[in-house]
Amino acid sequence: MSDKKGILVVAEVGQDRLANVTLESITRARELAPEMGGPVSAVIIGSGVAALGAQAAAYGAERVYLVDDPQVATFQSGLFTDAAVAAIKAADPALVLFSTSADGRDVAAACAARLGTGLLVDITGLELRDGNLVATHPCFGGSLIAEKQASGDLVMATVRPSSFARSEAPVTAETVPLSVDFSPTSLLAKVTDVVCENLGLISLEEATIIVSGGRGVGGPEGFKVIEELAEVLGAAVGASRAAVDAGWKHHQYQVGQTGKTVSPQLYIACGISGSIQHRAGMQTSRYIVAINKDPDAPIFQFADFGVVGDLFEVVPRLTEEIRRRKTGA
Amino acid sequence: MNIIVCVKQVVDTEAEKRLDPTSWRLDRTVPNILNPYDEYAVEEALKLKEQHGGQVTVLCMGPEGAADDVRKALAMGADDAVLISDAALAGSDVMGTAYALAEALKTMSYDLIIFGNRSTDGETGCVPAAVAELLGRPFLSTLSKMESDGTTLKVHRETDLGYVAYDCPLPAVVSVAKGINEPRYPTMKGILGAKKKPLEVKDVAALGLDISKIGLGGAKTKVLSARTAPPRTAGTKIEDDGSSAQKIADFLAAEKLL
Ligand SMILES: Cc1cc2nc3c(=O)[nH]c(=O)nc-3n(C[C@H](O)[C@H](O)[C@@H](O)COP(=O)(O)OP(=O)(O)OC[C@H]3O[C@@H](n4cnc5c(N)ncnc54)[C@H](O)[C@@H]3O)c2cc1C
Ligand SMILES: Nc1ncnc2c1ncn2[C@@H]1O[C@H](COP(=O)(O)O)[C@@H](O)[C@H]1O
Repeated sequence: MSDKKGILVVAEVGQDRLANVTLESITRARELAPEMGGPVSAVIIGSGVAALGAQAAAYGAERVYLVDDPQVATFQSGLFTDAAVAAIKAADPALVLFSTSADGRDVAAACAARLGTGLLVDITGLELRDGNLVATHPCFGGSLIAEKQASGDLVMATVRPSSFARSEAPVTAETVPLSVDFSPTSLLAKVTDVVCENLGLISLEEATIIVSGGRGVGGPEGFKVIEELAEVLGAAVGASRAAVDAGWKHHQYQVGQTGKTVSPQLYIACGISGSIQHRAGMQTSRYIVAINKDPDAPIFQFADFGVVGDLFEVVPRLTEEIRRRKTGA
Repeated sequence: MNIIVCVKQVVDTEAEKRLDPTSWRLDRTVPNILNPYDEYAVEEALKLKEQHGGQVTVLCMGPEGAADDVRKALAMGADDAVLISDAALAGSDVMGTAYALAEALKTMSYDLIIFGNRSTDGETGCVPAAVAELLGRPFLSTLSKMESDGTTLKVHRETDLGYVAYDCPLPAVVSVAKGINEPRYPTMKGILGAKKKPLEVKDVAALGLDISKIGLGGAKTKVLSARTAPPRTAGTKIEDDGSSAQKIADFLAAEKLL
């Protein structure tokens, strides 16, 4: 029997706070901990991140490892891997959870390769069945739901954002500062510039609500109505491939097979037909609302609420209506 | 500059994807294509070769039939190819795939290894980082821009907020994002020429791979079951008569989404 214990969450740091996926993972870890044994811990990697430990503790992390170092002020996969591995060695957990984001995948894959473990990628569910961890993973754009398992006494997984509920459960956390000996290879790549063009932008993967525009939006100016609705809802803006290929939106906004896979609580598709490829990236959304002037658009076959109408009529009115309800006017 | 591009043959996006109900492996008897993300990797390699000279080699692990899609990379302009193919490799997971690729790469000489960001069927996006780690090389993923003077690399890595610029000495391992370039179409001459370019097939024995680390048997992750997702069904559908905005808002309020 292995004596590895507990669950370590490798935190993702967003704009001055822990990313939702990290809080969701800590919440889930807390629920699994009684049966798995051992503490729930988190490792926070960055520069000037000590204050974020309190946020991890508010969600139930009993131990917070801090790699607070100017060298990791900005993501760099080698250095972050060294830091995560140092935390894994210190915590000696049975399970390590990362985020299914670009950064999370890089670090998780490198940690798994360095420590020789398997990696469960992009899971949306995790439970114990007869003492074994079983993960859920929607594959091929959510058309199939697979259950998978990793062997060995140390299991690593990347968690898709918005898969678990998050709830606070404050504890007094023990803070453990870690000083990491970065490897010479990891130090080779140097950050020369950090460009934040979209400061304040809500990331698609993290968003609770997404308002997306497709070819029906007609042009880059057409996205204005989409953005206004997103703003009153506190939502992220998305786009279909058609809108991206037309050059109306940068491809980082693209949702779908060759774009981002999202699972928000609410996805509002405006002027999007609902092709298989688009659907692949958003069909695990909890609710889908569609506005499209073609009554036969495939999107209506799987939208929870569909409006056949002109988006330039409906969307601005919806923005007004929501603004009115939110301000109680 | 010697560049190796790792490409995967994937199940065509349009094809229905089925898992074999006993091994839970992807049924690969459907139409296959070159992983679309890997076309960006090939294009980026060809552009660097045009500037600096050298050799572009394609590396693929896959069934024998994957040679068809490896030829596509050759038709685009790559010089030669290595296909790692062996029945013992079927069913490899991320770490098994990364191990096999890394062992092959250790026998090759390179300044730069370029990957696609992810494959459209495996969709893990984890093979590149794992390979870099196994090779002990610096790794930069999700690149939206890449330049090199032949000894160092200057890149932009996409983030949600914009990008981060890095400098890194070669040899290095990178993965490129969709949209970093516009992949060229193979010309007729390219397609004909590709048939004559060297494509070496290597099996597990040739690479001296440890059988316990590859294939279904060596996989540290396993699929236990798979089921079709419960189909989403159409909900309420209304014609806009001027009141639809209120009705959407009512729906959102009823589902506690506001
Ligand atoms: C539902 C599902 C979930 C998964 N989740 C994870 C996960 O969480 N973690 C993880 O590590 N992996 C996971 N995998 C496996 C991982 O995605 C594989 O690496 C991926 O590339 C798909 O493998 P496959 O199903 O196509 O199997 P295979 O077709 O057996 O492919 C495995 C690899 O071997 C190659 N191959 C096949 N036949 C040969 C041959 N004769 N010679 C040489 N190469 C060959 C393929 O090209 C592919 O790269 C998952 C796979 C599935 C189907
Ligand atoms: N079997 C393979 N052979 C060669 N390269 C591969 C293979 N599998 C994955 N890759 C590379 O790794 C990238 C990411 O794939 P994945 O991790 O499966 O999403 C791909 O774009 C390829 O460049």
